[in-house]
Amino acid sequence: MNDTLLSVSIALVFGIATFMILRRDLIRVAIGITLLSHATNMLIVSTGAFLGGRTPIITGDKAVSTGGTFIDDLATGILAPVIPDGIEIAYVDPLVQALTLTAIVISLATTAFLLILCYRLYQEQGTTDVSEIRRLKG
Amino acid sequence: MDIMQHVPIIMIILPVFFAAFTVLFRSKSGLQKALNVGVFALLFILSLRLLSYVWDNGILVYEVGEWGKYGILLVADLLGAGMVVLSSLISLMAMIYATDYMDRKALDTTFFPLFNLMAAGLNGIFLTGDIFNMFVFFEILVLSSCGLIVLTGRGDHTKMADKLEAIFKYLVLNMVSITLMLVAIASLYATVGTLNMADIAVKVSYLAEAGTLPWHFHVIAMILIVVFGYKASMFPLHFWLADVHPSAPAPIHAMLSGMVIKVGVYGILRVHYLIFNETMFMLQPILILLSLITIAVGATSAIGQYDLKRMLAYSSVSQIGYVLLGVGMGTAYALTAAIVYLVNHAVAKSMLFLATGETLYHAGTKDIRKMGGFAKSSPFLGSIFLIGAMSIAGLPPTGGFFSKLVLFDAGLSSEYYIPVAIALVFAIFTLFYLFRTWLAIFWGEIKDTDNADGYTERKPTVAIKVALALLACVVIYMGVYPEHLLSLSGTIADQLLDPQPYITAVLERSVR
Repeated sequence: MNDTLLSVSIALVFGIATFMILRRDLIRVAIGITLLSHATNMLIVSTGAFLGGRTPIITGDKAVSTGGTFIDDLATGILAPVIPDGIEIAYVDPLVQALTLTAIVISLATTAFLLILCYRLYQEQGTTDVSEIRRLKG
Repeated sequence: MDIMQHVPIIMIILPVFFAAFTVLFRSKSGLQKALNVGVFALLFILSLRLLSYVWDNGILVYEVGEWGKYGILLVADLLGAGMVVLSSLISLMAMIYATDYMDRKALDTTFFPLFNLMAAGLNGIFLTGDIFNMFVFFEILVLSSCGLIVLTGRGDHTKMADKLEAIFKYLVLNMVSITLMLVAIASLYATVGTLNMADIAVKVSYLAEAGTLPWHFHVIAMILIVVFGYKASMFPLHFWLADVHPSAPAPIHAMLSGMVIKVGVYGILRVHYLIFNETMFMLQPILILLSLITIAVGATSAIGQYDLKRMLAYSSVSQIGYVLLGVGMGTAYALTAAIVYLVNHAVAKSMLFLATGETLYHAGTKDIRKMGGFAKSSPFLGSIFLIGAMSIAGLPPTGGFFSKLVLFDAGLSSEYYIPVAIALVFAIFTLFYLFRTWLAIFWGEIKDTDNADGYTERKPTVAIKVALALLACVVIYMGVYPEHLLSLSGTIADQLLDPQPYITAVLERSVR
């Protein structure tokens, strides 16, 4: 995927998420939070995606030609995913995908909780307008 | 001694396991209470053993899954182990208190599992050596505390609609801040290619020596200051605390204001002093400025409050400012002062909140103006409240005196005269609003108001008395024998400023 296109789309999702969070409706805020975590997930995945990267399933003979991704040697430079010159990268970084999975699971739980909270707030206060839900002040 | 190697994981696994296990006993109330108090007492003893082990044998590193330094590590150094002791102490006392305080319905169903998860989240944050894992434990902490805030206790005069509004604010703001943390972690990973904090520190120092530290590294440090500052309720991010914390029942309020806001301070101490050494010259003036504004805003807001729980919540904002002031000054002595302040405030404030919960239960109202003369009917609560107020205000026979003394001394010795002067002025404000409150509640005559609830003479139950008395003993002990805490904090501060032993312990050890 094109790097510029990827960056712009991540930035767009972040922007839409921020816009939604600043809306006055509870549900829109919840959708904004969801979009925010989606944007972050895209950001995390993109940190490990290199141009021409292959899936990081390394078996048998291919394991020999992993290039710089998995070597961790300070003397030759800082590695994975910051790639020193002259080393060709064959695989995308698998760790960020594992991180994204964790983040997705967490955001699933939080979104479910947030939606239930919106519903309960609507039941208790009879409105989903944030500007009318302001009993706590003083 | 072999079992000691596994204590860091036990501190996390045991509460997680019990969160599920205790649900089985939901119909046997007495057994469930005894079991959970037993587990938390065990955790407290284990944490003490862990601290003494780390003090004797150096930093303890535990590999989860034995993946070497590429896997997830739990690292118990003196700071982490000390914070675990503190959180275990406060959660044990809050647990003992809660067995009599919380509503029967809440206690039988959701309180124990969520409280166990909260303890697991706290211990995990303090013991993890992996920055992404820290994020995961932050989430566990946030979600479990959201569930705990909605529960009701007997001195709790907050309506359900208000509680839901409070946790909606708490959850949305926390999600935004935690997402920011994830963005910072992703950027850090893209820069150095590792998530292990010690490994990040090594690679960052390597980059800094080569002069190729990218500019966005400073941005990451700032984003993490925002995240941890939000957790610690630092000035521009303090507004949520006074809405959220007073909505919680007293034991949870004590946990949140006593322990959970210290997580932010711990994050700054751990992450910034280990990884972002290069940026601290830039961040320290910001921290000092913001902490002074935090002190001022918290203290002035507290003076204007008549709602007792809200007043104490604003007092927490003000007090966390003092801790951040010590962190911002950044010398070894100032860090010692910050840690001493953190411990003393955690113990005294949680005791004050527990005493407040019981006082509100007796008073039947949250309004200070409608209270008065409680000293006659409950001298026990009055003396506990007085000890807590003395410690927060910084009067001699309590631990709070030494924390303020050491903090101001540290400020003067590093020639921060104006910050210390401002902090001193607002320390007098603290003295004023706490003693005005104490006099209004416990002194004078019982007010004859049209409030139908009025003051009812009910004696505190044994569990509540035990929890309060033990915490009061700790507060007095830290005032009479401060040298233990001072020497421990001094060693922790030295380790923070020279993280080489931490890095060595994590990276250069024989992989099993």
